[in-house]
Amino acid sequence: MKSSVGGKRVLGALSVLLLLFAVGCGKKEMVKSTDSAPGMTPPPGEAQEQIVSEPLPSQTAMAEAEAGVAVTMERPSEFSDIHFDYDKSFVREDDKLTLREVADYLKANPGASILIEGHCDERGTAEYNIALGERRAESTKSYLVSLGVKPGDLPTVSFGEEKPLDPGPSEAAWAKNRRAHFVLR
Amino acid sequence: MIRSAGALILSLLLLLVPSVSGAVLYIDINAPGGKRMPISLPDFVVTGGDAALARDLPGVIGGDLAMTSLFDVIPRQAYLERIGPEHFLARPLSFPDWKMIGAEAVVIGKVEVQGDQMTVEMRLYDATLGNMMAGKKFSGPVRRFRKMAHEFSNEVLYAFTGVRGIFDTEIAFSARPKKGRGKEIYVIGLDGRELRQVTDNRSFNLFPRWSPDAKLLAYTSYRTGVPQIYMRDLAGGTDRLVVRHGNSKSPGSFSPSGDSLYATLSVGGNSDIYRVSLTGSAVRKVVGGWGIEVSPSVSSDGKRVAFVSDRSGSPQIYVKDIGSSGERRVSQAGSYSTSPSWSPAGDLIAFTSLEKGRYAIYTVRPDGSDQRLVISDDGSCIDPSFSPDGRYLVYTLQKRGYSELKIGSVDGRWQRGLFRGLQAVGSPSWSPRQ
Repeated sequence: MKSSVGGKRVLGALSVLLLLFAVGCGKKEMVKSTDSAPGMTPPPGEAQEQIVSEPLPSQTAMAEAEAGVAVTMERPSEFSDIHFDYDKSFVREDDKLTLREVADYLKANPGASILIEGHCDERGTAEYNIALGERRAESTKSYLVSLGVKPGDLPTVSFGEEKPLDPGPSEAAWAKNRRAHFVLR
Repeated sequence: MIRSAGALILSLLLLLVPSVSGAVLYIDINAPGGKRMPISLPDFVVTGGDAALARDLPGVIGGDLAMTSLFDVIPRQAYLERIGPEHFLARPLSFPDWKMIGAEAVVIGKVEVQGDQMTVEMRLYDATLGNMMAGKKFSGPVRRFRKMAHEFSNEVLYAFTGVRGIFDTEIAFSARPKKGRGKEIYVIGLDGRELRQVTDNRSFNLFPRWSPDAKLLAYTSYRTGVPQIYMRDLAGGTDRLVVRHGNSKSPGSFSPSGDSLYATLSVGGNSDIYRVSLTGSAVRKVVGGWGIEVSPSVSSDGKRVAFVSDRSGSPQIYVKDIGSSGERRVSQAGSYSTSPSWSPAGDLIAFTSLEKGRYAIYTVRPDGSDQRLVISDDGSCIDPSFSPDGRYLVYTLQKRGYSELKIGSVDGRWQRGLFRGLQAVGSPSWSPRQ
């Protein structure tokens, strides 16, 4: 069924709705009676799949598709990333200067907030890495709070291993990917 | 564009013959390496539709049976008798002709197509005694012919082993779509066919987990920018947000009754395991602690949960009796053990562990005894998930920028590829029987 995947790709954001439509077809088939009408003979199997119906996407679906794509992109930052040791979440000495800059900015700009993204390298398990990224973001937040930033100005999100800055499988790439990233909002 | 097989389109018209006499032909499913059952799958008789069905249907059954390592499908070139409509009336098969080519059993089938609908009658014969061991008639859309064949493969396996087959089960997983940077949820048949995409919101969609009735998939999605757990109704195509409590969230496993979900919720940077009611709004902590607690897998009796904790300094597998305070570490392998999956019979926990620089799949008894390395490869073997009959594991093989889904036997004797058509495949989850 590669074709169905290909088809979805072409239809892009419409395909969730198209899937709904196809499911609707499935339901009809399910309740068909045992005495099917003879005479009408489309080529077997293909008839349903080739009906192309394109309901207009709802506002919600379009908004979500945009938000979804945005999530997968690296967001620009005014600040350098800070980095972590393997399977660790403590703030390193060499990053404290960067965190001082972040704290000074927030203190000088009331009303601003900064989203702290926690990231991991690709090693290990995706589920565990979500939790590890969360802990990195929270550890970073705690340090900023200790510098006098209001906790409410520091939302956090973990991307686990899903958004590597450098996809290469090397020690150097992994070191770059174990990071907290700051997004001004 | 095939929807969930859960609400089945096929209607089983009649069970033709329940008279399985004597069970002379019998395969001991627990004696691997024994003699294989030679079986013939001659072309089906097709009226009114695509003649290719004559070979496609027995082809699906042959593929299913070969996968078990319990059967040898005799090549069709050797067959002496051609099956016709008369064999579904009074005329018996010429059994000596089948015995002569070494067959102990024969499957025959008759297909009648009307429009986009079809009826398929399939029979399994013991070639020695000449009796019918199983017989069923299915009807449904022609495009679901593979489903009908898988169902009959289940019948054949049951007739020979007394064990229900799993040929109509499916695997859910996440992967990067061909265009895009995110990940979507997909479902694929056990034979590597009928791939379908479940989500399409272009964010990260991760960790699909089946409900016990195979009608729902719980998964994590970043569609709003933060990781939330959603529940997809596979037949209706609708999503429901499951829990608002906490920050990062991932589903672990459904309770056996299906009324709640064991999930990882992160509050203030601390990930713990919670039981989330699906009928109400109750959220109750099951496993806590200062460390990272993730990836709950519940035993089939619902009394115990296996999970990952880094409380010892590195991630390891623990088991807890739900409702009690006792928690026992069960993984003794490497420095990094994650992704527990509890076997359906409750006697084993499979998990991933890093040892000597390589991730491999181990099993261990829930009391921590009898730990075994079962699957390793030239690369990382991670994310094991048990089949509903407890005989196989689906897992991810990763090698430098490449990944595929594979299936291996729990005894470690063999592995085979399942799917490699997309980038970044992972987190496979085996469906229950449907």
